[in-house]
This record gives sequence, C-alpha cells and structure tokens, in this order.
Amino acid sequence: MVFISLQGVSYAYNGRKEAAVKNISLSIGQAEKIAITGLNGSGKSTLAKLILGLLKPQNGKIILDGRPVGKYSLVGVGEKLGYVLQNPSQMLFNTSVYNEIAFGLKWRGKSKNEVHYLCKRYLDLFDLWDLRYEMPFNLSDGQKQLVAISAVLALQPSYLILDEPTKSIDTFRKKKLKDILQEIWRRGTGIMVISHDTELITGFEGRRIHMSKGEVVEDAVRYTD
Amino acid sequence: MQLDIRTKLFIAAIFSVLALVYQNPIMLAIVLVLNLLALILFRMPFNIFFGFRKFIYMYVILIIIQSLFVKSGEPLIQLGNTYLLTTDGIFYGISIILRFLILAGSGLILFNCNTSELLLALVKLRIPYEIVFMIQVGIRFIPQFTNELQNIFNGIQLRGVDLRKVYKRKVIRVYISIFTPLIYSVWQKAEKLSILLELRGFRKFPTRTYYREIFLKKIDYVVISFVLIITVAIVYTGSIL
Ligand SMILES: Nc1ncnc2c1ncn2[C@@H]1O[C@H](COP(=O)(O)OP(=O)(O)OP(=O)(O)O)[C@@H](O)[C@H]1O
Ligand SMILES: [Mg+2]
Repeated sequence: MVFISLQGVSYAYNGRKEAAVKNISLSIGQAEKIAITGLNGSGKSTLAKLILGLLKPQNGKIILDGRPVGKYSLVGVGEKLGYVLQNPSQMLFNTSVYNEIAFGLKWRGKSKNEVHYLCKRYLDLFDLWDLRYEMPFNLSDGQKQLVAISAVLALQPSYLILDEPTKSIDTFRKKKLKDILQEIWRRGTGIMVISHDTELITGFEGRRIHMSKGEVVEDAVRYTD
Repeated sequence: MQLDIRTKLFIAAIFSVLALVYQNPIMLAIVLVLNLLALILFRMPFNIFFGFRKFIYMYVILIIIQSLFVKSGEPLIQLGNTYLLTTDGIFYGISIILRFLILAGSGLILFNCNTSELLLALVKLRIPYEIVFMIQVGIRFIPQFTNELQNIFNGIQLRGVDLRKVYKRKVIRVYISIFTPLIYSVWQKAEKLSILLELRGFRKFPTRTYYREIFLKKIDYVVISFVLIITVAIVYTGSIL
C-alpha cells in the first residue's frame, strides 16, 4: 500500500532561480526502508521537508496516507511521521533531557507511569539516562543528536524520517543506531534515512534513492553491498 | 535611478521628520502623496501599502480612542456624557494614520537597498564602527532567529501539541518551552561570536579598510537639492495654512 506519494513535485526556495527539488515522483510504502543519498545541496533535506508539509511545493502533489499533505495540520503529520531534523539542536526546547523525551508523550495523553517507563527505556538506548537532569543545550553535539533521535523514537511513529542522523555520533553509537533502526523496521515501522555516511548506509538493505541537483537519478532495491 | 544610499537615507529622514512635525491632516496628506511619488520614482515595491488594508479596523478603533480622550471638538456621537466620536477625534485619528503610512513609506525607500551599502553609508556618516557593527550583527541574525523560532514551533507541533487548542493555563508553559531555548541559543551565539571576533582580530587595529566604496554622483546632488527645495516649499505652505 502506498503511504507517501509524490507526483511531479518541484520546489524552489524564495529568490532562487534553480529549483532545489525538480519534478520528483515517488511512491513509498508504509513499511518500506529507504536510504536517500546525494551530495551536499542535492535537495535531500528539502525533499523531507516537502513530505512533512513544512514546505509547500510550487508544482505537483504530495499525498500522505491517502490525503494531500497540505490538508493535515502539523500535529496531524506528527501523528503519521516521526522526523529528526538535520540540525537536532533546533529540535530541543525543554529544560531537561528527561522532559525532552517526556514532552511529546505527555501531550499525547500517556499516564505518568507510562511516560516514566518510556523515558527510561528510550534514554537507556544510548546511555543517556544519567544525563536526564541536564539542560539539553549544554550537551555535546553528539549527545544532542541522540536526545533528539530518542525523543522521536519514544513517540513510536509508524514512519520515521531521519535527516543525517549520524552527523556527530561516534562509531559505537552509530552501530547501535543502525541495529535499533533495523529492529524497529522489522517490527513494521517504515524508515527513511537521509545520509551520506557510508558506515550507516553500507549493509543498509532496502531501497536506495540517489539524488543529484534536485532530481532522483537512481532508485533501486539493494540487498547487499 | 541609481542613487547613493546616503541620498535615500536623507530622503527617508526628511519624510520622517515631516511626518512627526505636522499635525494637520492636509499637510500630512501632501507629504504622503510626495512619499508615494518618491516610491514610484525609485521603483520601490509600494504595493505593500495595500497590505495595510488589513488594519482598517485598527484605524477605526484609533479614531474612537482619540475621540474618547480628546475632549475638544464637536461631538458627533454622544452617549450620556461620554463622547464616542468627535470632529477632533477624527482629525487626530486620521493624522496618526497618515503619519504611520508616511513612516512606513520612508522605511520602504530603504527597502531594497543592499545592507552592506547601508552600513557603509552609516560609517561614512561618521557613526562609530562599533555601533555600525552591532546593527550589522542585528540585521544579519534576524532571519536566523525567525528561522529558529519557526523550527521550534514546527518541532512542538510535530510532537503533538496543537498550538491552537492548548488550554489557557498551559499556554504559558508552551511559550516558556519556546522562548527558553531561543534565548539560550541567542546567548550561546553571542558568546561564540565574540570569541570568533577576537580570534579574527576585531578592533585590533585602529583603522579598517572597506572593500566596497560608495560615491555621491551628480544625480545625488541634484536629487538632494530638489528634495530640499520641495521641503522648504512644504514648510512654507504649512506655515500659511
Ligand atoms: N532556506 C533556504 N533558502 C534558500 N535556499 C536553500 C535553503 N535551504 C536549502 N537551500 C538550497 O536548496 C538546495 C538543496 O538544499 P538541501 O538542504 O535540500 O540539500 P541537502 O541535499 O540536504 O544537502 P546536505 O547534504 O548538505 O544536507 C541547495 O542548493 C541549498 O542551497
Ligand atoms: Mg540536508
């Protein structure tokens, strides 16, 4: 079943002649695992923002779970998709690491016990539990990134979009992240990883979409590398 | 017309001063018309003015407030002892609106000029470089802050908070969530910037060279004289009206 569908989508940023995303058509299944690669500035992040409805395409249509993405509120999109920004420090806005994870959970009406349980579980994934009282802004870049990822994972979205999730993460936790992603994918969560990190992408079985200058130049399913 | 930025600054300053000096709606209307003419001459995007239509209800409220507090003039609508609408209220209300439009129009004169030229003009006008630099940093960071604020808003909503449906008591909490990180990141940026400036030798040497240069051309002198003449004419008419 098609979960996300793009039909001839183009987007140019304000004041730019060259479009950042050019005439892209894609169909993405709900449980599909996709790696999007491409050089800096090839339009990967723009594509993600279009899917989330943060940017409105000048041309083409984007359908999310059967409805045009423009018809959703951001909250509605958030219920369908989990999204980790390329710059995770922009996603942290709480006064402690614990609250950062708890934030979305509380607003989704989870009970106190549930919130606590999930916070512990997801902070433990990357050994962040000991940092739970710290201000998120005072963490190292890699820790910030892990907190942002954990906060989104804790919401257990049915589809996950990660933009450069490994940018400042050490090799050990990168491996860990890779395993976690594999695991939640096995349990039925679709994943879109935007990355040029070969360590993460290598052995990342599934669909591979390569972008260049705003266009999809390769779209294939790979099983091994 | 390719005018020097200082000429534009001068014209904007004259319009602003005239707007503040005059009370009389007729004089203000004349100034506004000249202001619009200047905008057309300089090919500025004066259609932004039509955007002000949205504020019409605010103008109406302004006129009523003026009527309530300005006790002079003939009452037009009266409720017991309170005047709801007076001639002087309308008079002052309209003056305020015209003033506002003129000030906005003077701002628009500078609208599509290059910021680095604007800063250079300030330097040439002998404003200390430190102050110009602060203005520059301010201008430079505004888009970044709005961008950051937008990201935080998006993040909050994507994580399940419908800002339109948040209850009154919780609104404060949500706004604290929004502004704490923003202030914090501003603070961190300021700190980083000051370190970076030191590292790159900011103010280490007493003089500084500028890559760009700006010159007053003949056309600038002509335009400035012309504006001066018109201003004198306006001031003169204003004094006999
Ligand atoms: N806010 C913006 N305003 C104007 N242009 C932008 C903006 N964001 C991105 N662009 C431009 O759009 C193009 C695509 O950018 P995008 O961020 O999608 O690239 P990317 O593939 O994510 O690159 P990276 O690997 O560096 O993250 C680039 O040419 C970039 O300069
Ligand atoms: Mg990117």
